[in-house]
Parts: sequence; structure tokens; C-alpha cells
Amino acid sequence: MTGRRRGRLVGAAEITALLLCVVAFATPWLTHNLFVLSVINQILIATMAAYSVHVMLRMNLLSFAVPAFMAMGGFAGALVAKHGGTNVLLVGGVSFLVPALIALPLGILILRLRGVYFVLVTYIFSEILQLLLFETPHLTGGSNGISGIPAATFLAQSFSSSAAVLQIAAGLALVATVVTAALCQWCEQPFAAIDENETLAASLGLVIWRFKALGFVVAAGLAGLAGLSLVLMLLTAHPSSFSPLSSVNYITYAIVGGRASILGPAVGSALLVFAGNIFSSQGEYSPGFFGVLILLVVFIARGGITGAVHTLWSRRRKQPASLAASTKLQDLA
Amino acid sequence: MNAGIRFCLLATVAAFPFVLDAAPANSGCELKLGMIGPLSGAATSWGVALRSGAEFGAAEVNKTGGLPVGAEKCKVSVVSYDSKYTADGAAAGANYFASQNVKFIIGPVGSPEATGIKPVAQRNGQITFSTAYAKNAIEPQFPLAFHELSGPATWAPPLAKAAKEKFGFQSIVCVAPNDQGGTDIASVDAEAYRAVGIKASEEYYQRGTTNFAPIIQRILNQNPDAVDTASSPPGDAATMAKQLREAGFNGVIGRLGGPGTAEIIRAVGGVEKLGNFYWLEIVSTDDPGVKALWEEYKELMGQPAPDNTLMIPAVASSRLLLKAISKAGTIDDAAKVAEALRSLPVEDKNLGKGEWTGQKIYGINQELSFPVGMGLIINGKTVGVQKIDTVEAR
Amino acid sequence: MHGIISAGIIGIGLGAQYALLALGFTLIFGVLGVVNFAHGGFYVLGGYVGYWAVSSAGLPYPVAVLAAVVATAALGYLFELVFVERFVDEQLATMMLTVGLYLVMSTGVLAGFGPEPADFAFPVTGSWHGGGFFIPWANLIVLGVCVLAIAAVYLVLYRTDLGRALRALADDRPVARAQGIRPHLLFPLAFALATGLAGLTGAVVTPILTLSPHVGDSVLATSFMVVILGGLGSVTGSTVAAFVVGLIEAYSDVYLGGSKGALALFLLVLLILIAKPSGLFGREARRA
Repeated sequence: MTGRRRGRLVGAAEITALLLCVVAFATPWLTHNLFVLSVINQILIATMAAYSVHVMLRMNLLSFAVPAFMAMGGFAGALVAKHGGTNVLLVGGVSFLVPALIALPLGILILRLRGVYFVLVTYIFSEILQLLLFETPHLTGGSNGISGIPAATFLAQSFSSSAAVLQIAAGLALVATVVTAALCQWCEQPFAAIDENETLAASLGLVIWRFKALGFVVAAGLAGLAGLSLVLMLLTAHPSSFSPLSSVNYITYAIVGGRASILGPAVGSALLVFAGNIFSSQGEYSPGFFGVLILLVVFIARGGITGAVHTLWSRRRKQPASLAASTKLQDLA
Repeated sequence: MNAGIRFCLLATVAAFPFVLDAAPANSGCELKLGMIGPLSGAATSWGVALRSGAEFGAAEVNKTGGLPVGAEKCKVSVVSYDSKYTADGAAAGANYFASQNVKFIIGPVGSPEATGIKPVAQRNGQITFSTAYAKNAIEPQFPLAFHELSGPATWAPPLAKAAKEKFGFQSIVCVAPNDQGGTDIASVDAEAYRAVGIKASEEYYQRGTTNFAPIIQRILNQNPDAVDTASSPPGDAATMAKQLREAGFNGVIGRLGGPGTAEIIRAVGGVEKLGNFYWLEIVSTDDPGVKALWEEYKELMGQPAPDNTLMIPAVASSRLLLKAISKAGTIDDAAKVAEALRSLPVEDKNLGKGEWTGQKIYGINQELSFPVGMGLIINGKTVGVQKIDTVEAR
Repeated sequence: MHGIISAGIIGIGLGAQYALLALGFTLIFGVLGVVNFAHGGFYVLGGYVGYWAVSSAGLPYPVAVLAAVVATAALGYLFELVFVERFVDEQLATMMLTVGLYLVMSTGVLAGFGPEPADFAFPVTGSWHGGGFFIPWANLIVLGVCVLAIAAVYLVLYRTDLGRALRALADDRPVARAQGIRPHLLFPLAFALATGLAGLTGAVVTPILTLSPHVGDSVLATSFMVVILGGLGSVTGSTVAAFVVGLIEAYSDVYLGGSKGALALFLLVLLILIAKPSGLFGREARRA
């Protein structure tokens, strides 16, 4: 019961999400304020990571593995940029494919798990990957990470300024949006069926594991793009950028934004990353402000921000309130 | 509830122009010093100490009517940014400050922060004074990055030598967390012990460990004469010291890397039970000049200084930085101020004579070094903090 | 041989600590189906209330522990009533609410007590020595508290009407409702019971280890791992899992070292879950 009108190829949400990426791409022409550029860059990264959460949530799976896949994408991209080539298509492709390829066998092992068992396994996977980074100093630089990464290039142009780094992030986010939208559109029915009642769907003949694996692989690739974008922003691939607990942030962005539409991750990331940056200039009470903000949004906007807006919209148009807003997760427990 | 929502909305709306507007043109001369460091999370106390040091440096200058820059006298204020001990937090902070036209930054604190801020601050034309103990805290390709205090490579050799002379141990285990905040210090400590003929090994534990019993058991299986808790956080080091003594370890405990002596003494149950203990003080805390600083702080700021010695190098570097800004005669051109910094004599009102070091270790001479201290507890009695001249030892 | 036994003793000590930690977490999960991300926050708060009671109010330590239990239980009760209750069937929403609460709690503790570790010492020091082995007295006391707390939880769950009602809610909420059990009265109680247990753990364990505003982070991760490995909401399961995790951690840390030891622990837990997708003592995934 996702409440989305089926049958339409591209909805308003998808178009808005794409437009947002285009606007982000254009910001360097609108302002030179470095803080604005930096915040938008962070929002784009967070959005890609939250897409990864979003895709899994469509199948009623809550994934804590986002930092792990981000790390794979980020480190793979860093290694290629340093030793292979800096062309953004090459680096971007590698950082999508490496986590995606690793996700395939991993998914076969762990996608049988459901609910909190899946949550735990993905969290542990993030912890394991962090430790693997520490334990492989020759490949990944160990606890010091890889620094001195050359700027990405495209058609003999080097992207090293803040504005250029932001535009790369916007480009990657655009790709991520298209991929997410395409997947969610193409697999809408099976994802909804898995979300609703996996056992029933299987008994009706749906080959569930195929869709679950596809979703997991794509989610891993999306996180890889986010990781690459983070690495390009910092010019450093550092293990502390991919701490296992940071998965809570990306999950928060996706849920606060709302899981009913692809706009959710973008809206959640925009609000919370912006707020987090503002709060950080307020000193040691910043986590407290952040906590109050989360409590308020969850309390007021049932079903996340996009969900609440959707409900309001439906009510105003005197249609029966959509169930899309509800985040009821029958089987997560 | 409604009032709460309205407040939240208002706050967000009110914050917008504040962020989006570029810094307004200075009416009168106003100089903003930035402070970047962890103001939340486990390393909060370090960020707070750094901020207090910068605020003290600013208050000192303001008391005299402001900092002379060219023909003007500038009022100095300190703005801070919580970088959460992360690379991206520090990078975001540098960009935030750039948008506020803040060119001079005290901090960041941790190694991940230093890694994250270097390229961004260089791009933005900002001077940073990091306290990170990372092996690449400063680098030749980032000439605007300075180091606020001597790092392990500077103080570990003389302290390891002094510890060997005092206690005569032959073997030691250096234990620290498994991330950069641990490995970049414990490995340098171990190397310094080896250089003076002590058998040294390294043990790294998972950051976030609360109960150290298994790690202690592993250390004791190696039967060392001494254990160095290196840069483990104060709470971790205190628990380890306590569990070492509980397990019947009677050897020397050392601490070359982090603060937290008071916590360790408390956790073990007093100086007598601690027995033999030595630790690094990042400044020579028993020096009359250093002691006077705590009093001066209280008098000028109207409240006691935070109980964290990291405040002191922050004061010294703020003072030197302000002097350099004055000498360079600009509050915008970081490169010119950096030039002035390198040429100024290194002398502090409280810390005495120091010098720029770092060429050998980092390849760039931008580490602000003053004598450090070595605290000693011998046979259950506090001996005090001895001054160790790292400059001479080199 | 000596080393193997020593490591085993350490593992049992860790296990007792983890079992106590996991108890509250598993209760909230079992009864309400809520993943309580603020669990570590209640642990830290319990520690600080105990610390405050001893150092500022001058109360004896056992009374301070009691104060910690009461304070954390009261806060848990209120939080459930005001925030969680409305969303109790929406697992994602409750998770976000507890994340928010945790951030607020740890900031509050930081504002109230400062960032430095607090001077909160356990009243009993020293160790029992014998046969070349040693056990700190404090660890034996934690083991004792752990046994008592688990026994008390069992008594409440299996010998009282409240417990029967809670178990009914845990088993099948709609059926329990149909039988006249009123969740909106019982859920706050269950939440309070669980957060009180977290507070108890904090007041007992933090003086032995460390008390600072951020020790709750790792508590959450450990509790989560133990509870899920044990099998959803099963008190027996999480207790057994606590000792399994404690022993694996002890042996892997002693023989492999910190990083490799942690890696071994996580890999083993991963393997166990792949082999047994619903935990050691789990039933099929429960329905909220």
C-alpha cells in the first residue's frame, strides 16, 4: 500500500528531485559564498547516501551498511584516481561498481535475514569494514587513510575548486537520482509486494530474492557514489569519514524526509545537514538542538516530511487520506 | 507545542540571512579568530580548552584597546565551530569561516580533523594551528598549516630516555586505540623506546572499548616491565591503569601522549597505589610562568580556566598569531601573516623561549615548540613535573 | 592452561556486564517492539544520577543506585507516555524518537556535568586472589546484581499479572488487546521497567569502568548485538548471548589483540546469524 499512483512513468517527485540536482549544479553561478557551496555539497553527498537507505526501505529493510559501501566506493575511487586515471567517468564508474559487485555475494548470504536481524548484520558489516581498513595499511593507508588524491578531471578540465567539486557532486547526485528513480519505478510492484507481505508475495510466485538482490546491489552502488563524492570534497579517503555509527545519520535523513517518495531522502538531507551546520557554529549544544529537531519533525510530520505534505495535500483535495504517510512497518520487527 | 514549533521555525528562518549573507564590511576594525575543534562527543574537553585559550588571547589584546594593525586598532573576537572530531566537520568549518571572512583559525584538534582541513584551508587562504599528533599534521605542500605544540616525534625521544634513566625498565608495551588518534602516537612512542634500547611492542584496542580486562590480560601475557597508555582517552587510560593494578601488575605505568593524570590517580585509588608512574605534560606545568597563567586567566576572564593543559599552547599560539597579524599589517592576507609568523622571535610571556621545529619530522618548520614537562610519581610519592627541553635534546 | 582459564574468567565477567546491559533493551524490544536507541543514554544518566547522589547529596552508594533506578524509570515512563505511545506501532518513527532523545540526553548530561570523566568510584576495591587467578570483587558484585536482576525480571514476567499481560502483548498485540489488555497503560510501565534497568546498570557498572557523557555510544552497540544474537526479545536468549559474546571477546582479544580480536568477534556473530537467521533462541521474525 505505497499509495503512489501507479502506471505513471515519471511523477512530480522524480522531476523535482532531478531539478534540485540541476539547481545545485548551478549554484556556483549564483553565489560564491563558500559556506553555501560547502553545505550544498554536503547535502548532495547525504542525499546519495540516503537514497541507498531509501531503496532498501522500499523493501522494508533497514540497512546500516551505507558507511561500509561508501568506504568501498570512496577508497576504490581514491585508488583509481591516484594510480589509474582521474577521469570522472572512470572514477565514478569504479566507485559504483566495486561496492555493487561486493554486494552481490554478500546479499546472497544476508538477504534471507529480515527486520532487526538484517539491521544488526548490516551494522556489523560496517564495523568489519572499518576494521579491515585499519588492518590493510598497504592498500588503504590503514588508520591514516589515503591523502593527496588528485582532483577529478573531465575533458582536460580539472575540478579542484570548491565550486567545481560541488558540480561533480551535483553530477553524481543526478546520476544517483536517475538510477534510484529508474529502479524504484521498474521494481515498484515487486518492491511493494515484498514490503507488504514477503511470504505472500513468494507464495504467489514472485521470485523475491532476485529483486532483493538487485535492490541491494544498486543501493551499494549509490552509497559508493556518495563515498566518492565525500572523498573528492575532502581530497582524502579517511576511515573516520565512514564510521559505522554515521549510518544512523543517513537513516535519519531518509526517514525524516519520508519514505513514501524519492524526494524524501533529498528533503531530509537538506533540512538536517543545513540544520547541523548551523548548530555546529553554536558550540557544544549542537547535538541537543539536532535531537530536538528530530523529535519535533517526527512528532509533527507523521510519515516524514514528504509523507506529511502528501497527507495534507490529499486532505485539501478532499480525497481520502492516503496511507502513504504511514510508516507502519508490519514486518520490520 | 505550537509555541515550540513556531520558535523552531523562527530560529531556522532567522538563521538563514545570518548564513547566506557574506560578512558585512568592517566598520571600525574587527578581527575574528576562528576556533575549530570538537565541541561535542568524547573529545569535547579538548575543543573547549582550545577555545578558552583563544578567547584569553583575544581578551588580553582587547584590554589594551585592541590589536594595532596598520593605522587601526582592531577589536579581536573568537568564533567557534564544532567539527565533531571528523574530517568533513573540520572541512565544513573552514568553509563556514571563509564565508564569514575568518582567515585565522586556532585548531583543529584531532588527526581526522587536521587531515580534512588542510587542503580546504589552503584553498580558502586560511592559517590553521592544529594540535593533532598525526604524522602528517603539517606538510610542506600546505604552507598555511601550523602546528600548535610539539608532537610525539619531538617529545617522545627525550622522555623515553628520561623514563629509562629514572625507572630502568627493559621492556614496555604501548597501548592505544586502533584509529589514527592511537596508532600515530603509540608507534612513535614505541620507536623512541626502542631507540634507547628498550624492548617495545604495540597493542591497539577497538575505539569505544569500556572494559579492558582482556587487553590487560594480553599485555600481561607478554610480561613487560612497563606499560605506556600513550594517547588513549583519559577515561580509557584510567580504567586500564586500575585494571592493571587489580591484576597484580606492579611495574611502571607511563603515559606519553595524552592528559588525564588526575583521572588515573583517582581510578587507581591514590598516588600510593599507583606506585611508579610517569607522564607527558605538553607544557612544563610546574614552571612559575605557566602556573601564573591560570591565575591570569581567572583574573581577566572572571572564571577559572578549564582544567585542561591544552589551553596553554592555545594561548601561546593565539598570542603569536596576533603579533604576526599586527606585524604583517593585514587582517586579510593569510600568506603575509604566515610569513610574519615564521620570522617572529618565538617568545611567550608565560612559556618563555621556544622555537619553530618540524623540518626533520614533517619537512616544514612550522611546529611551535616550547619545553615540555615530565611528571613523575616514584614509589608512591609525587615528585612533580620536570622541565624537559626538547630543543636541546634534539 | 592457566591463560585459557584466566581468559575464561574475564569472559564471564564481561558476560555478566553485557547481560545486565542487554536486559532493559530486550524488554523494550520484546514488549513494545521498539528499538531503543536511547538505551545508552539511560545507562549514562543512571551513572550520573548515582554520582550526583553520592558526591553532591552525600547519600550512601546503595541508596544512590536506587535513586538512579527511580530517576531513569521515571524519565522512561514520561518519554513513553508523551512521545513513543502515539507512534508505538511505527517502528521507524519510534527509532527516530529514541535517536533524538539520546542526542538531547547526552547534551544535557554534558551541560550539567561537563565533558571530563566524573569522579565516581565503586565503594569496594581489590580482588580475590587464589590459585594464581584473580577476580576483582567489583566484578563478583556485578555478577550478583546481574543474577538478581534477571531473577527479578523473570519473577515479574512469569509470576505476576503484569508480566502475563506484558507477555501477551509481546506475543500478539491484537489478540491481547481483544482480551482486554490495555497497552496504553502497560507500555509506559514496561518502558519504565526497562529504562530503570539501564539506569541500574549505569549506576553499578560506570563506577567500575568510566563515567563520562559519551560512554553510552558503545553500550548501545553491544546491547544491540547481544539482544539480536540472542533472538528477539527473549530474556533467556539475550542472557546466553551476553556470555557467548563476553567469552568470544575475551578469548579473541587475549589471543589476537584489539583490532583482530574485534574483527574475529564480528565475523563470528555474522556467521552465527547467517547460519541461524533468527538468532540463537529466536522464533520467526515477530510481527509488531
